[in-house]
Amino acid sequence: MISELIINAFLVTVMLAIGIALLRTRTLIFTVVLTSAYSLVAALMFITLDAVDVAFTEASVGAGISTILFLAAMAYLPKEEEENINSQTLPALTCILLGGILIWCSYDLPEIGLLSSPVHQHIVPDYILGSRDDIGIPNIVTSVLASYRGYDTFGETIVVFTAGVAVLVLLKNNTQTSKQKNKNSKRKVS
Amino acid sequence: MNENPILRVSTKILFAPIILFGLYVQFHGDFGPGGGFQAGVIVASAFILYSVVFGVDEGKKLFPSNINLFLLALGGLLYGGVGIASMLLGEEFLSYNILGSSPQSGQHIGILLIEFGVGLTVSNVMIALFNAFVSFKSGKDK
Repeated sequence: MISELIINAFLVTVMLAIGIALLRTRTLIFTVVLTSAYSLVAALMFITLDAVDVAFTEASVGAGISTILFLAAMAYLPKEEEENINSQTLPALTCILLGGILIWCSYDLPEIGLLSSPVHQHIVPDYILGSRDDIGIPNIVTSVLASYRGYDTFGETIVVFTAGVAVLVLLKNNTQTSKQKNKNSKRKVS
Repeated sequence: MNENPILRVSTKILFAPIILFGLYVQFHGDFGPGGGFQAGVIVASAFILYSVVFGVDEGKKLFPSNINLFLLALGGLLYGGVGIASMLLGEEFLSYNILGSSPQSGQHIGILLIEFGVGLTVSNVMIALFNAFVSFKSGKDK
């Protein structure tokens, strides 16, 4: 119990430090790298909550591929963020107020892993037993994701597909014209 | 294109193990943590690493764009196709029980196929996005 407290305190401290560093940096590449580090710490936090599948996703998607895509997209942006000239008191007040409300509400949450809490009473026992008896898969997350909630995962896959195609279509025109220009310039050289 | 020999050699050594690990995560998702989303990202990272080190043109030679776009659509189609197949066999959309000889084996087949579809779509979307970003020419360069 005490070791869990120490680990959680350490992770929260690191997260806070990264958050403060993110606020203070104006260089985009530092922002991208710090966001990646933040995702990695978040992944560690999910592991302490025994959510290994979520941790795996956070580490590979949040810390891995999104960093690469950010870096690839960053080449078309100015290196430094512009100084914010607007007043920052109102946004800061809003954040503090919202954070305070969330912390206040968190006192009403049931304890983590408490068996009598509503989320573990409604449909979860069916899923846990069904995963063993009806589907025969040890990883309950997979059986919920792929079988019980197959529709949702289908939707997610289509969302990924649509988002990818949309970005490709947006960028396509520009790459094609540049390719044609390259061909034209090559012809001129030859 | 990176001329650093350490990077080039280590990329060549790492390429196959990364894909192997991706396949392990893909097909071991029923028994341990993992599944299509994570595996897709891992496989994509191998191809992106290759493109980063050897250049985008070499990366496109290794994995041509038309195959990339074809597989991108095939993943979603495979997922939807499993649903349609179960409908044609007389069950509801995405009810895998009918796909195998017993309900449990049907579930296994269905989950394996749709996870593979997810993996295909995710990995190819990531590779396509990376290629699009890298070969995109902004207005200033023209």
